[in-house]
Amino acid sequence: MTATAERQMELTLPMVPDIEIAAARAAGNLARELGMASESVDEMTHAMIEACINAREHSGSKDRRIYVRITGTSLAEGNSRIDIWITDHGQGFNVTEARSRRQNLGAVHKRGWGLQIIEAHMDEVGITTGAEGTTIHMVKYGKKS
Amino acid sequence: MTDELRVAVDRRGPDGAVLYTKGYINNVGGEEIANRAYEMMDAGVRTLLLNLRETKIVNSIGISILIEIIEKMIDKGGRIAFCCLTPVILKTFQIMGLANYASIFADEESAVSELGLK
Repeated sequence: MTATAERQMELTLPMVPDIEIAAARAAGNLARELGMASESVDEMTHAMIEACINAREHSGSKDRRIYVRITGTSLAEGNSRIDIWITDHGQGFNVTEARSRRQNLGAVHKRGWGLQIIEAHMDEVGITTGAEGTTIHMVKYGKKS
Repeated sequence: MTDELRVAVDRRGPDGAVLYTKGYINNVGGEEIANRAYEMMDAGVRTLLLNLRETKIVNSIGISILIEIIEKMIDKGGRIAFCCLTPVILKTFQIMGLANYASIFADEESAVSELGLK
């Protein structure tokens, strides 16, 4: 990719209820500045909300912080690309097990859908996880609105 | 910063109702909807339409609570439907399987007609 990121943002957020909204709004504003269509922005923000909730609810992070990095890049023909990294310093998780969860009405486990939602709403998702913590790198491509 | 959920209810006949939401359906918002829905079920409502026209953001925890409401209504022999969803909320409902157990309508007019809520 020859284009360089023209918008960058880094946030350190406390793990408190609804903090995911602050992160999603920051990313949404950046995407709109780049002219991304509203439906793509909505998908991106919903994925980001799930990533932040996963970090807050499941990471077991001792520092109780979510580290967010967002970059926005203009591409050819008015298109754009948003990269988002959501990092926690928690205990990591089993990606295979998380991906295999499925839900049926009446099932004991109604939760645990965050990763499926993230992968459905974003164009690319990469996960690095281990005993030192987890980083989810998400990419959304957008056409100009 | 928060987008606290507000709920309004419009009873339609002896066993029907439309529940309007405004704001973020998270765990707190989902519980608020559940409380109102269960009150209505206890009062005999068996056809419940949730109009999400003024809800733009949902999360998986909130949707899991909506699924619990659907289960309870099915247990009582009733039905739940949704209308006026944004494209991303509709997609999220489909991912989580909610769309398999509740009818989804584009607008309230078609929903109330189909459900017999007028």
